[in-house]
Amino acid sequence: MSNTPSADATLADPDRADAARVLAGDIQAFEGIVRRWQGPLVNMAWRYCRDRSRAEELAQEAFIRAWRGLAKWRRESSFSTWLFALAANVFRSDLKRFPTVMVPIDAAPEPSGPATQHSALAAQFNADSVRRAVLALPPRYREPVVLFYFHEMDLGAAARTMGLPEGTMKARLSRARALLRRRFPHLKAQHAEMEMVALNTGK
Amino acid sequence: MNRTETDRPEIDLNSIDPILAAEEPLLPSSGFLASVMERVREEAVAPPPIPFPWKRALPGMTLLVGVFGWGFFEFVRGGLPTAAAVSVAIPHLSASEMQTLEQAGWVGFALGVSLLSWLLSRRLVGRTGLL
Repeated sequence: MSNTPSADATLADPDRADAARVLAGDIQAFEGIVRRWQGPLVNMAWRYCRDRSRAEELAQEAFIRAWRGLAKWRRESSFSTWLFALAANVFRSDLKRFPTVMVPIDAAPEPSGPATQHSALAAQFNADSVRRAVLALPPRYREPVVLFYFHEMDLGAAARTMGLPEGTMKARLSRARALLRRRFPHLKAQHAEMEMVALNTGK
Repeated sequence: MNRTETDRPEIDLNSIDPILAAEEPLLPSSGFLASVMERVREEAVAPPPIPFPWKRALPGMTLLVGVFGWGFFEFVRGGLPTAAAVSVAIPHLSASEMQTLEQAGWVGFALGVSLLSWLLSRRLVGRTGLL
């Protein structure tokens, strides 16, 4: 079976091919882009606001901005880099105008006590507490944390999405971690203990 | 999203990492794709935004700049000799000097009000997301 050059291009980079079709006037081709990136964008928005319906609204807005600005995508950067940077701008400015209701980091709930720390429920509660505490970080430290973990701890990708040098990103991450550790000093000990329990029980 | 050794930050992995990294992925709702495409189609048929009427606004803006320029010139021309005449001791100002100083004051006040008005309008436009 032989593929035409156009078919090869579509297989190699479907985003590039769909973008070209959209720019040529085929609106329906944008559906392919949305289909491929709806999951990542909704998840990224969710990490910014922790509100499902708002996350979908934000992701939708990001797609609309991408639709409007598709011609501005310079093909030397990957489509995902461009899309995530655009989405981060949309989320940032929207959340700046209408902030999510959040408590200051020092008022974030404490992890559960020793009596319940081994239960799955307590672990879930602890995890939720930490994730919500991330939202309570000052904005300049919150976004690097959100993007670093969203990009599966790839510092370079997170820095590119924010448009920051990696060194700055690293410094802000370090500061954010210090703030989180200060807020949850018992987490490390709890985690080690839970791992030990899991090892002992053979899980 | 692949992580390499060089990308790895020099920060110790503690319990915060697994909590923040291992998050259940959220699935978009079933109507999300259709909803986005509906908005895209609406956008596609919507008329393009009306561009700012620079040609019409230009004479007015030129006039405004001229007035401000003239005001500034008058302010400097009238204010400098007056300022030079001011000494540490309480100066005695003649009626003409007082008049010049008063005019300069009004020009300064007008400039200040204009600046405040411009800053306020920028702030309001910024809030509506037009900028």
